[in-house]
Amino acid sequence: MTPEAWILLVGVLVLLLVAWTAWTLVRLNRLEARVDQAWTTLDTQLQRRAGLAEELARSYPAAVGEDRAEYLAAFAADARAPVDGDRELAENLLGRELRDLPEGLPGIPAALRTDLDGTRTRVGLARRFYNDAVRDTAALRHRRLSRLLRLHGSRPLPRYFDIDDRLDGARGGRTPPVRAVADRPYDVGVPPARS
Amino acid sequence: MRIGLVCPYQWDVPGGVQYHVRDLAGTLRGMGHHVEVLTPAEHEESLPEHATFAGRTVPMPYNGSMASWQFGPVSAARVRRWLREGHFDVVHVHEPAPPSVSLLVCMIATGPIVATFHAATTRSKLLAAWGPVVRPWLERITGRIAVSDFARRVQVEHLGGDAVIIPNGVHVDVFAHGPSLPGVTRGVDGPTIGFLGRFDEPRKGLPVLLDAMRTVVRRHPDARLLIAGRGDAAAIDELIGSDLRAHVRLLGELSEADKAAFLRSVDIYCAPNLLGESFGVVLIEALAAGAPIVASDLDAFARVLEDGAAGVLVRRGDPAALADALCGLLADPARLAELSAGGARAAAVYDWDVLARQILAVYETVLPPGGGEVTLGEDDAGVSFGGPPAGSRRELASGGGQEGPYSDIP
Repeated sequence: MTPEAWILLVGVLVLLLVAWTAWTLVRLNRLEARVDQAWTTLDTQLQRRAGLAEELARSYPAAVGEDRAEYLAAFAADARAPVDGDRELAENLLGRELRDLPEGLPGIPAALRTDLDGTRTRVGLARRFYNDAVRDTAALRHRRLSRLLRLHGSRPLPRYFDIDDRLDGARGGRTPPVRAVADRPYDVGVPPARS
Repeated sequence: MRIGLVCPYQWDVPGGVQYHVRDLAGTLRGMGHHVEVLTPAEHEESLPEHATFAGRTVPMPYNGSMASWQFGPVSAARVRRWLREGHFDVVHVHEPAPPSVSLLVCMIATGPIVATFHAATTRSKLLAAWGPVVRPWLERITGRIAVSDFARRVQVEHLGGDAVIIPNGVHVDVFAHGPSLPGVTRGVDGPTIGFLGRFDEPRKGLPVLLDAMRTVVRRHPDARLLIAGRGDAAAIDELIGSDLRAHVRLLGELSEADKAAFLRSVDIYCAPNLLGESFGVVLIEALAAGAPIVASDLDAFARVLEDGAAGVLVRRGDPAALADALCGLLADPARLAELSAGGARAAAVYDWDVLARQILAVYETVLPPGGGEVTLGEDDAGVSFGGPPAGSRRELASGGGQEGPYSDIP
């Protein structure tokens, strides 16, 4: 090949690489925004759930049982600000406590019951969508070329948020629970440290 | 809420996705939302109010059946105009992976996009190769829904994502209440068994049912088989044969209202299908109409029938087992009544009112806090129609095989 042909070839390759890089940067930016927004939604729903649990414990201790109300309040407070920084563990404990409430929640106003139900569904949805966004980001960042060029800059890789929300079980149990959740083992009877 | 639904298949051609979009749109409108539909169609004038014509499609094989191809600058311009004029809070595309208006919307729109995946065939080389190509645009989807476990599996294995499962729906009320077919009343006019579907398609299993009927009429001489649906009547007449002819009636293709009446009339609804139905909406319709069901043990059918609690499951393609199940049920009025009464309960979770609420919860979850509407993307200019960008082509060459950390299905 003549030198001109070589230059042309290299030029084309460089152009392709630049185009690919620009396109991937656009994708990464878009994914970052998607992860951020999905996290905001998930965080809002989790806070909302903790708020409802607190209300339940504060206003209806007789309906849920005094003992349970105490646990519920403690778990909710821990979920809002985890003592050991492990949000997933704290949310799991709260979620489990809420699931174990008496069937149909007798003695609790219908509006609060509906809120609790709706929040449970939305926590599940928001978590699924957040993890989906994280997975898409991870898939793109783990490509060889994007790793090589360090296209993500200094941004840390977003983390999956794994809690047991029983989304599919909560929907009437017609579909088997999706085994998507790597549920961490936790001790059943131990309340958060501060209580 | 202002909702834009996108149907990738021609509106005036019968199909599960089209019905799904139509019923979802109707239900959401009934709840007070503003719903617009963008869809291709064979005849533009067939479109109802609030549906926008997106052009015609070219058929092509996709994922085991025929899908339709629609792509290019003209369609893209229609998508842009629809998005610009719609001012949607959320757009909801259906089956966005093949090249269609749904994929175009994913490429062009910026904002909350929800997608529902319907297809359920897992082994498709085409899909495995195609998944990585469209990935850059599918990753703009903020909330993914699959209509079944099987559809979710496609999503996980080939398109590298997860999805929440919200099944196909049925208007339970439409099937539960109404008249019966004249001269065929359940429990009164002698036992009738119903079959619905393209009866000349072998995978629908009518030959198996006809075989089984020979045994049934020996034990129940007044039993009749009603066959509804399209097909070649002459060809099926040969299969029926002289011994069964007096016991079989062909009803031809039924309107929606007649289909509901048919399901309310029969003593047993039989679905002897031999091969993959991805969902089995007709079984839910039969449940809603209170028809006791005998169905083959396909995964999708077993799911709807709660593994045999809501209906009788028999080994597929086994006429003797089918005959036994039919005769057993006909001889057991108590069980028939129990199945008939339980049908409405089993169908209730598939009622559109219930499902539309779940889908609305998905919309609310993907809405940005403080709102905002779906716009044309800022990097829209970068969408070219000469082919996928360089990066995607490389992905295709590397064979894809993206496995999410959630690839928990063996």
